Amino acid sequence: MAGAYKSPKASTTYLRAQTTMKSRLAGAQKGHSLLKKKADALTLRFRAILKKIIETKVLMGEVMKEAAFSAAQAKFVIGDFNHVVLQNVTKAQTKVRSKKDNVAGVTLPVFEHYGDGSDSYELAGLARGGQQVSKIKKNYAKAVELLVELASLQTSFITLDEVIKITNRRVNAIEYVIIPRIERTLQYIITELDEREREEFFRLKKVQGKKKAIKAIAEIKRLELKALGVDVDNPADMLKDTHEDEDLLF
Amino acid sequence: MTGLSELYFNIDSGYLEGLVRGFKGGILKQNDYLNLVQCETLDDLKLHLQSTDYGNFLANEPSPLTVSVIDDKLKEKLVVEFQHIRNHAVEPLSTFLDYITYSYMIDNIILLITGTLHSRPITELIPKCHPLGSFEEMEAIHIAGTPAELYNAVLVDTPLAPFFVDCISEQDLDEMNIEIIRNTLYKAYLEDFHVYCSELGGATAEVMCEILAFEADRRAFIITINSFGTELTKDDRAKLYPRCGKLHPDGLAALARADEYEQVRAVAEFYAEYKQLFDGAGNNPGDKTLEDKFFEHEVKLNVNAFMQQFHFGVFYSYVKLKEQEVRNIVWIAECVAQRHRAKIDSYIPIL
Repeated sequence: MAGAYKSPKASTTYLRAQTTMKSRLAGAQKGHSLLKKKADALTLRFRAILKKIIETKVLMGEVMKEAAFSAAQAKFVIGDFNHVVLQNVTKAQTKVRSKKDNVAGVTLPVFEHYGDGSDSYELAGLARGGQQVSKIKKNYAKAVELLVELASLQTSFITLDEVIKITNRRVNAIEYVIIPRIERTLQYIITELDEREREEFFRLKKVQGKKKAIKAIAEIKRLELKALGVDVDNPADMLKDTHEDEDLLF
Repeated sequence: MTGLSELYFNIDSGYLEGLVRGFKGGILKQNDYLNLVQCETLDDLKLHLQSTDYGNFLANEPSPLTVSVIDDKLKEKLVVEFQHIRNHAVEPLSTFLDYITYSYMIDNIILLITGTLHSRPITELIPKCHPLGSFEEMEAIHIAGTPAELYNAVLVDTPLAPFFVDCISEQDLDEMNIEIIRNTLYKAYLEDFHVYCSELGGATAEVMCEILAFEADRRAFIITINSFGTELTKDDRAKLYPRCGKLHPDGLAALARADEYEQVRAVAEFYAEYKQLFDGAGNNPGDKTLEDKFFEHEVKLNVNAFMQQFHFGVFYSYVKLKEQEVRNIVWIAECVAQRHRAKIDSYIPIL
């Protein structure tokens, strides 16, 4: 390879490759910073959700305790009303809707509850414990609301977790694999170009040296001829030359 | 003559009255409740109950104990005792005891009607019925699709048929809210029971009519208070008031017109014992609720029934007191299980 002569076309290929690589590197770096920003935004949201989940869970514990206690109070006054409630169920009075929320490009489902239909237990406990029944209805309604909220928080938690893992994987891939690869390729191209330049330089120098040597020998020859009386300063004059040329016979 | 009936009482019912008084002696006293309130776990509770009349009723239950298991076992004991008494009774005590079971029967029927309307399988519903209120036609309820069919096919043969006849027509059964049916039936039952007791005469009439009058008035008050803010009209409400109490007719008319709690209280001012109950009650935390005061008064009347001898009221009172005791124990058990001791003392003391 050291002595091979490279055509000018090959070096432009190298140059083009170099510019391509440079643009790819710039692209990779831009992508890396964008993804990092996305990962940071998601992590921020993730932490906020985590805090909210902890708060809601603690509140949930208290609300459930309150609701269970009011159930015990109602049972004290009315007796066992489980089956009365269960048998009277027709359709759901509280329903859940899901909406989509967008965070840094990730769609998260959000659940919200809404009441549907009138209260079919309005007259329950009419003769005994009506107050307790309304209290327990209120308490459990609150518990259901909290549960729905907790559910949407937990689904977004899980979804965000997935997305953050994927994004971080991509960020790391770019940072530790793609960019070094491109940089190494770029390095290689640069070193190749340098080497070729050095080769060219070396060749030129060698050729120059050779030319100089030839020139020196010719000069010596000329001086020798001049010393013999041959006119070497002027170019040979054909008309003056009276040598008899032999006829050319075909 | 009242003297004669007392002389002949012991022939038929002497053994049973003795038995019931023995059972009454086993009702938990204040000391027992103090012990129970100090329990930390349900197993402690079981230990304390072993030293009472309940004995080892929880001995075969697998741990961990739950409140519903305790509840079921307590009720089972009462049912066993009651059925023993009922099996040994002759007329007129047997009819009297049957009247006591009618209130549970009403609850069972209402449960079965709602279950059948929503097409639940009958096998699911039967275990949820109160054992004291079972009747032979219970298994046959599922053949009917609507309440009216149910009535024509099944309920006419039960002892509750007359209660339906008096006040509910066929279309009413289909249209009315199930709670209204329940309360209408109960009103007919109370009035009928009251009439039967007055016919029995003597100490029975004295004791029972007072207790039933209080029950009627209490229902009137509570229905009025609970119907504020619901879709129950005043006329419908007035139809649910039992007429065998002290409030009939003026008090009931006034209650039918009432729109809010203060007006109900004003009606109670006219009757000495009810005035006292309303005075002590309130909705602030730390106050006894009106329901609690009613419970206390009921317990007092029931305990007083044991002061007289040779009457049937002791049987009714015993059942009611035992029920209250079961409610108390279950309340304490729930407080212990949920570790919510703030209101553990809100049981109704009996003796």
